[in-house]
Amino acid sequence: MDIWNQLIQGFITAGTPVNLLWALAGCTIGTAIGVLPGIGPATAVAMLLPITLQVEPTGSMIFFAGIYYGAMYGGSTTSILLNTPGEAGSMVTAMEGNKMAKNGRAGAALATAAIGSFVAGTIGTVVVTIAAPVVAKYAVLLGPPEYFMLMMLAFVTVSAVLGKSMVRGLTSLFIGLAIGLIGLDQISGQARYTLGVPELMDGIEVVLIAVGLFAVSEALYVMLYEGRQVETQNKLSKVHMTREEWKRSWPAWLRATAIGLPFGTIPAGGSEIPTFLSYATEKKLSKHKEEFGTIGAIEGVAGPEAANNAAITATLIPLLTLGIPTSNTAAILLGAFQNYGIQPGPQLLDKNAALVWALIASLYIGNVMLLVLNLPMVGLWVKLLKVPKAQLYAGILIFATVGVYGMRQSAFDLVLLYGIGLLGLVMRRYDFPAAPVVIGMILGPLAEAQMRNAMSIGEGKWSVFVERPGSLSLLVVVVAILVLPRLMKLLRGKMRAAG
Amino acid sequence: MTHKLPQTLIGVGTLVLAGLMAVGATQISSDAGYSGVGPNFVPWVVAIALALCGGFLTWEALSGGYRQMDEEGPGDARGYWPGFTWVSAGMLLNALLITYIGFILSCTLCFVLAVRGYKASQGAPDWSPMAFVKDALVGLAIAAPVYWMFTKLLAINLPGLTATGWI
Repeated sequence: MDIWNQLIQGFITAGTPVNLLWALAGCTIGTAIGVLPGIGPATAVAMLLPITLQVEPTGSMIFFAGIYYGAMYGGSTTSILLNTPGEAGSMVTAMEGNKMAKNGRAGAALATAAIGSFVAGTIGTVVVTIAAPVVAKYAVLLGPPEYFMLMMLAFVTVSAVLGKSMVRGLTSLFIGLAIGLIGLDQISGQARYTLGVPELMDGIEVVLIAVGLFAVSEALYVMLYEGRQVETQNKLSKVHMTREEWKRSWPAWLRATAIGLPFGTIPAGGSEIPTFLSYATEKKLSKHKEEFGTIGAIEGVAGPEAANNAAITATLIPLLTLGIPTSNTAAILLGAFQNYGIQPGPQLLDKNAALVWALIASLYIGNVMLLVLNLPMVGLWVKLLKVPKAQLYAGILIFATVGVYGMRQSAFDLVLLYGIGLLGLVMRRYDFPAAPVVIGMILGPLAEAQMRNAMSIGEGKWSVFVERPGSLSLLVVVVAILVLPRLMKLLRGKMRAAG
Repeated sequence: MTHKLPQTLIGVGTLVLAGLMAVGATQISSDAGYSGVGPNFVPWVVAIALALCGGFLTWEALSGGYRQMDEEGPGDARGYWPGFTWVSAGMLLNALLITYIGFILSCTLCFVLAVRGYKASQGAPDWSPMAFVKDALVGLAIAAPVYWMFTKLLAINLPGLTATGWI
């Protein structure tokens, strides 16, 4: 019953007018940036990080969490109504959603997406509520070697598994780790790569890297390569589902939630895999296979959307209990915690119980808010799609300025921002993933500290990582992830050559 | 292979970065204490890993281009560089001027310049004075509320033209 009491306490904290306002503001901004192309939740949270300088932690974390999952709701609107492929997570929704919209069923697609997100988000939050204290209890037993291996697992999956090319993913990761090295060494307090510049002692701000890599590079990219692309928009029909459509959506939502949750929880980042898996499952199980890819099957929207939301909600479990971010936005949320001097991890639920439970309670409240924001008011958001590209991207540059300048009041940072934007532009053009840079930069220093602590425990011997069963099994998983896919490919090639 | 040169340059650039990281690593103490690895250990790991990645990328670029990549990058094959210049000018002027003319005016200027570029990239450039005025007003309408929200509501310092806190 302890959880129950704490959750009620959380609802009391989250239910104060100020915190409700923060949640509403977060959900509204989240939906808006989800609808608008060119700016995702990671960028939005990064741009608003300066508020951590003034606002108390509970309010701002509720606000950021609202942006995080609000963007998932908003993103589906765009992928259903606009005929341009959006981000990877909503690409699957776009496939079937677009087909449905072209056949005059945009309303049903939007409804199943929003309600599915609500169902998955709420179930996900229940799982977070129940699982977080349990995971935290066991996480206390983990020592530095296990932590280090968990972080290695996060690095490997985010850079080597998710992208198309392992070399390019790893290059991104090590660039991120290199950026993370700048500043004072956490253990010895020694300055590294600061070139004698005092500003570099505190390291490079996350805002700068995230906004540069995601927002500025996108603005430059659109200008250079996508100026002549013409977007067409599907017509919005009445947001409503028939009894038959409800009947087809329900099982898809639940199956997808079950698929999405574990993927968010394990440090295997990203919502791409669960959305694709859910899509494949629905296609296989559907009684209306002929609708897939032709007139659009509602299960093909309901499943992936729910899977996406479930995975996103579940990323909070490793973030809060282990301090390990498994997505871009989670990495930036970790940065926000660090700005307050709070280190997420197993102790967080003891030391900052009020904050954590208020945050969890606000997820329940936020999901209800988002359902209201996205179902009856969807027409309002659709109007955002009419903002012309020129003004949209030029406006994004203003927001980028306020985020970066607001953090440190340095005009030099704005020049750096442009430089990082150029780096991001090159990375986009040649298909280097950006997420490993951000995750490497934030998680890198933590991983280094864990590694050196582990080595201290092992009295300077590397064998400490294989002598403990926990860290050994994690090591095996890491190696397997790196080696197995390549081995399979090699074997298949050999078999083809032989047969 | 039109991508051969830039891809090779990226590979070589990564190698150069690896070299710089290594030079930096030589200047960090190796005092390891109990743990056997000192503050210079991870810098060396990063330098070596980047060197390996850079070498591999260069090899890929020279032997037929990066693997597992679409033939054409997303979007147009050829970039629209005049527009790129407009946005670059906007952002860099913004960095240069923000402390002198304040957040609102500096960002408005950036906005106007960037919009010029985007409109031109869409094949619909508009150089009439009216368009400049209109864009400046839209830019002001975005920058000013943002400025007030951050400075008045959140008490975060942003530079102004005057000390009144309104512009």
